[in-house]
Amino acid sequence: MIKTFSKGGIHPAPNKYADRKIKLLPLPTTAYLPLSQHIGAPAEPVVERGEHVGRGQLIAVNTTYISAGLHAPISGTVKGIEPVALANGKPGMAIIISATDEEHRADTAAREAYWRAIEPGHTDRQLSESLSADVIRKAILDAGIVGLGGATFPAHVKLSTKESDKPELLIINGCECEPYLMCDDALMSHYPARIVEGVELMMKAAGVGRAVIAVEDNKPGAIAALKSHIDPAHDISIQVVKTKYPQGGEKQLVEAITGRRIPSGKLPLSVGAIVNNVATAFAIWQCIASGQPLIERVVTVTGDIPESERRNYMVAIGTPLSNLPFTPPQRANIIVGGPMMGHSAICLDAPITKGTSGLTILDAAPRRQPMACVRCGACVEACPMGLEPYLLSTYGRLHMWDEARSAGVADCMECGSCSWSCPSSRPLLEYIKIAKQRSRK
Amino acid sequence: MTQSTIIFSPSPHMHTGRTTPMAMYHVLIALLPAVACALYFFGLPALGVLVTSVAACVATEWAITRFMLRRPTTVFDGSALLTGVLLALNLPSNLPLWMVAAGAVMAIGIAKMAFGGLGCNIFNPALVGRVFLLISFPVAMTTWPVPLQPDGITGPTILGLEKLDSLDPGQVEISHLLTGDIGGSMGEVSAIALIIGFIYLLATKVIKWHIPVCVVIGLVFVDLCAGWPVLVDILSGGLLLGAIFMATDYVTSPMTTKGMMVYGLAIGVITAVIRRWGAYPEGMSFAILIMNGFTPLINRYMRPSRFSPRRKEVAA
Amino acid sequence: MQSIFLTLTLLGLLGLIGALVLYVTAKKFHVDEDPRIEAIADMLPGANCGGCGYKGCRDFAGACVAKGSLDGIFCPVSGADGMAKIAAILGVEAVETTRNIAVLKCNGTCAARPVVFEYDGIRSCRIMDSVAVGTRGCSFGCLGCGDCVAVCKFGALSIDTADGLPKVDTEKCTACGSCVAECPRNLIELRPAGPRDRRVWVACSSRDKGAVARKVCANACIGCGKCAKTCPFGAITIADNLAYIDPEVCKTCGKCINACPTGAIHASFTSLCTESTAQK
Repeated sequence: MIKTFSKGGIHPAPNKYADRKIKLLPLPTTAYLPLSQHIGAPAEPVVERGEHVGRGQLIAVNTTYISAGLHAPISGTVKGIEPVALANGKPGMAIIISATDEEHRADTAAREAYWRAIEPGHTDRQLSESLSADVIRKAILDAGIVGLGGATFPAHVKLSTKESDKPELLIINGCECEPYLMCDDALMSHYPARIVEGVELMMKAAGVGRAVIAVEDNKPGAIAALKSHIDPAHDISIQVVKTKYPQGGEKQLVEAITGRRIPSGKLPLSVGAIVNNVATAFAIWQCIASGQPLIERVVTVTGDIPESERRNYMVAIGTPLSNLPFTPPQRANIIVGGPMMGHSAICLDAPITKGTSGLTILDAAPRRQPMACVRCGACVEACPMGLEPYLLSTYGRLHMWDEARSAGVADCMECGSCSWSCPSSRPLLEYIKIAKQRSRK
Repeated sequence: MTQSTIIFSPSPHMHTGRTTPMAMYHVLIALLPAVACALYFFGLPALGVLVTSVAACVATEWAITRFMLRRPTTVFDGSALLTGVLLALNLPSNLPLWMVAAGAVMAIGIAKMAFGGLGCNIFNPALVGRVFLLISFPVAMTTWPVPLQPDGITGPTILGLEKLDSLDPGQVEISHLLTGDIGGSMGEVSAIALIIGFIYLLATKVIKWHIPVCVVIGLVFVDLCAGWPVLVDILSGGLLLGAIFMATDYVTSPMTTKGMMVYGLAIGVITAVIRRWGAYPEGMSFAILIMNGFTPLINRYMRPSRFSPRRKEVAA
Repeated sequence: MQSIFLTLTLLGLLGLIGALVLYVTAKKFHVDEDPRIEAIADMLPGANCGGCGYKGCRDFAGACVAKGSLDGIFCPVSGADGMAKIAAILGVEAVETTRNIAVLKCNGTCAARPVVFEYDGIRSCRIMDSVAVGTRGCSFGCLGCGDCVAVCKFGALSIDTADGLPKVDTEKCTACGSCVAECPRNLIELRPAGPRDRRVWVACSSRDKGAVARKVCANACIGCGKCAKTCPFGAITIADNLAYIDPEVCKTCGKCINACPTGAIHASFTSLCTESTAQK
């Protein structure tokens, strides 16, 4: 049976037309690695300027619990640890690594060999049995793995559960409800066995007996691929969910699968669930089975660009956005992420980070001028959290922070369903974000 | 790459594509069958009323935005046009044209623009225009021309006759009520034309079914309790026109489905009560206007249920 | 005749009963309030700007009376004169304060900082700042959407159409601080009005390295330190590639203005220094 969440939701045009094949994007000769690519405290560099680093070497460590380390995506020399412009143009501290031609060639050869070895694949069903939970969690922490769905929450934190938490279910998010993006779809179609093995490792690490991989019903290829690799020895099932935005929202997905609603301001663990992305499962398999830390990820390049350029790439983290091949339209809105929740990029020298799931290039027709609110209720109907966006945005515009707080602005997950559905093109989410920010106590 | 302009904007970067003017024009399309029926049954005078009403509404809005508010004109959003058509459909076709124009100025000038224009009005402008005319010129407003007859012949409406106890509801031919071959306001006579419009609005998702259906349920409930004829009550008077096109006005109706249902039921009940025990034979306009006044209250108490249950405020 | 008499009696009786009810309620539910609160509230501007740190003018008046002294309480809008009057009402010593004026710590005019990106969205600095660095490419400077203008209750701010930056009307500015709190980039500072209305400040907030800052904006402070060397009073410090003039130490001589290679130091007066040095 196809499941879905109960409140609100919208159906934006899917536009999932990128090629599912994953192409290796050539390694960059200079990589920029921002120290803050995850939720939590920034990583602390452990290399110095002028130091030589090898590909996959640890270059920054987590100093607090909620944080993640960083690894060199290419071999080379550390050119500096200084502020570089991120995608939104704002500066952020980053480690800059530059490779010589020789190092670049050697890295490229090693990388191609690595991916060739994975392509045919060997199925190691005993992998998760042979390791203890502590060993797996340590490996995940050492590999600097964060949630690759976009929120970039350190993975080792999510999987470190206590006895008192009573985790019952591991939900693997393969919904990819964001229009345009296809990186998770590509990964599921190509490496289903690796993802299933990654899920087994996660179950072991978190001490959870049951796992569900949730995939939206618009990805029949991925569903079939995953289904054929389920091992009956483990309690892993594939749950097809309805194609509806925001199906991949953590709270929405947990409700769709378990029927339980996570209370306001609580984590999925409060209802006994752990949610992780399929790409995270793949990264965990990679770090344990092949020893490669998180230095590469799949990035979708899509949007209003020539059809041949709409592709999925395996990209080294730290590669400048401008290394991705695409021909922008005349008025280009280059979005890091998908069109619903992604952010416009203005600096194309900025690097791909752990949370970059795609680059959506839109031909930006000028937006409609906002009209008066006609109180049609479309935003109220669309809101998956059952809030009243028209009211919250008015509070945000009029600086009524107390009212916004009691109207539940903290529950907003900024999915953008309200702005999407407003027939008067009002800037609902924009003001709600302000209200959310400033009404925090 | 250098020749492209880089645009940045806040998320979301996609939009449904539906716009408020589009919704207005969809309602206008849905009104076409009713307009066609009005023109067929009442002929040229009906056209006169329609044109005057629309022209006066649009002109009033244009003049107010241009000379009083001094801001870009909003006449192209289709709402003034819609108010004009709805007002015309709520009037008898033999109403003197100057009265029509006065009603239109009242509707746009006082009921809409004085509150701040589209989205700010509390009461449905077209209904305010109609009720203004009904109270100011009661005779002209209740002299109904007989359909398909030469000029000058007038007759009462079915509800009017019932009120005077000179008609047994059992004698009324339902088929006349469906096609519209009866006396009444221009737009309210043909039930079939209005239901076609309703289906169109549902299909294009401009309105939801809750308000019109609940209005009918509310009316039927009172009728059944009091033992009145149900079918005649639904099909006559402005009930369908009001339920489908006037009560569902975005601005003056509640925002949540729960609220819409309460609002619809209350309109139905109030209409039935006014029709039987009130001074007027026809209560739809008043019922909608009364409930318009309650809409802010309904919005306040009929909140959507939150995804995450509200945490009880713990007193520190 | 009789009916008129009856009507008058009835109405009169009704009126009497009403008056009695009102009188009893007023007596019974009377709340004693210090009359000084009313007196102070009447003197206050009544804009409820929040510049004093209280919820509104009435709240402020209550706080004045409750505290009994004016130590640490100040209405920036009423200024020193107003506070002296409040002190007189309370019968306490007035506390010495200086008048402040808002200054803009950015001089990224249209000419100095051309538009390089196009913004398509609602015109609000805070929203634009949450999306990206802005149309001018500077991650520290003014975004020019006028959030400060909208929040100013005294009409002291306006966007200059020529250079796209907000201008402070020093006559109207009351230093209430609303704009300081509103600016998402903290570009507005309240500085003492200074002796004879002379103020000197660094009109830039860029903490980028000199070369980066200069590339984005011709008027940027590049943190070269020439001003700090020139200042005879040691009022200027450089931190994070940005100069800051301490208003407590600054004697408003204006020497630094001409020392600055990018013209990032602004003053409320025309510097006479160059002319006097040139004459020598």
